[in-house]
Amino acid sequence: MHKSIFAALVTTAFIANVYAFDLGKALEGAVKEKIQETTGTKTEPANTDNADNQNAVADTPTAQPQINWKSPSRDEEVAIGREVTGSLLGAAPLVKNDDLQQYVNKVGRWVASQSERPDLPWKFGVIESNDLNAFAAPGGYVLITKGLYQTFQNEAQLAGVLGHEIAHVVQKHHLKVMQKQALLDMGAGLLGDKFGDNKLSKKAISTGAEISARNLDKSAEYEADRIGMMLAYRAGYDVYGLPEVLQNMAQINKSDDSVALLFKTHPHPDERLAQLGESAGSQLDKLKAGKTLENRLYLLR
Amino acid sequence: MKRHTWLYLIVAIGFGLSSPISLAATESGTALKADTLRVQPFADAKSSGALIKNEPLEIITKKGAWLQVKTKKSTGWVRLLSVKRASTGNVLKGTVAVATGRAGTGKVVSTTGIRGLSAEELKAAQFNETEMKKLESLAVSKADAQKFASSGGLTANQAAYLKGAK
Repeated sequence: MHKSIFAALVTTAFIANVYAFDLGKALEGAVKEKIQETTGTKTEPANTDNADNQNAVADTPTAQPQINWKSPSRDEEVAIGREVTGSLLGAAPLVKNDDLQQYVNKVGRWVASQSERPDLPWKFGVIESNDLNAFAAPGGYVLITKGLYQTFQNEAQLAGVLGHEIAHVVQKHHLKVMQKQALLDMGAGLLGDKFGDNKLSKKAISTGAEISARNLDKSAEYEADRIGMMLAYRAGYDVYGLPEVLQNMAQINKSDDSVALLFKTHPHPDERLAQLGESAGSQLDKLKAGKTLENRLYLLR
Repeated sequence: MKRHTWLYLIVAIGFGLSSPISLAATESGTALKADTLRVQPFADAKSSGALIKNEPLEIITKKGAWLQVKTKKSTGWVRLLSVKRASTGNVLKGTVAVATGRAGTGKVVSTTGIRGLSAEELKAAQFNETEMKKLESLAVSKADAQKFASSGGLTANQAAYLKGAK
């Protein structure tokens, strides 16, 4: 079970199996209704999640034999994210450098504090991979690769990238995709499919990866760029940190292995920059100059 | 021997601190979209020409959210996000090439790193409880993050998110 979950959450999606679930299409309409009626999450922007605070006290996080996919609680969301993240860590462990990890956690937590979900148990990590990529999982888990970290020229760029991943969590991009799949599977169960009730949640998590590939579309990435950029600004950083990172990524040859997965699952940086430019228009002109803090960037060699 | 070690350390630290962040003197770039060049770096400044999508240009200087650029036909100010810079990657290219061992130099230092996380590898990955515990132990509280922000002179701003294009 651990194995497959992980993939789901990841910011990245897996294109190869995208069409594996077309059979589910027949059920999609019914499922959509279910999702809307039970979770109220359609496509509205992140609703302020005051519950983040209270739930921490109210619900005791215990092992989840079953996840309520129609409307997962905060603790269930965190439990799902933990599964996914733990598997990702199985593929690429944390860089063994506590100073670095704490530094990234401080920047990340401060940026996340400016979001609508400041009280999630946010956790940030840098993983041993020379790829350029970053991942987010439900409940506040954010991992970035060492390769991406090493491209940063200042703290504002780090903040911008973390802001993008934080935005995925705040908007529940991956969670929604997984919920959809889970409800699809329930629909299949109702139709007499071989999956019994008690297997529902398991199945839902384990197929998350494919679903995520199909549904975490360009618009979710553009939205995460827009939100991430402003989260960094809200945190006092130069608003152009994220665009600078995109500028840098745009220099890398598409065929380079280090960006293979990233470019497969995200629009090309040029397109993302152009979208940001379109959305920004003149709105950034009046923003205060933020800090870049190049001297504080933890140098990782 | 010990003394040498110290020396190396100091040299290493020196390089670390002085690592070049400044950009090359002249940068080139291309226009990401059609836009208006302006006489001054303001949205309501007079036009000094047009920028054509994908047109090559030279970046003269940067001021806030604006770049002063020179195209074949004219010179003027345009918003940063309308331009794709071509040479900001100098530092980056070097880093990536060395880090990934793909520069052809054979200088692959790290062998612990995983080369090219593929979708397949991700799918095959097993949950790692030890690493997860480690991740959890390194988390920082909201209050500590706030302190860290203050020590860097960061103060929170109010700002709405941008709406999607068109």
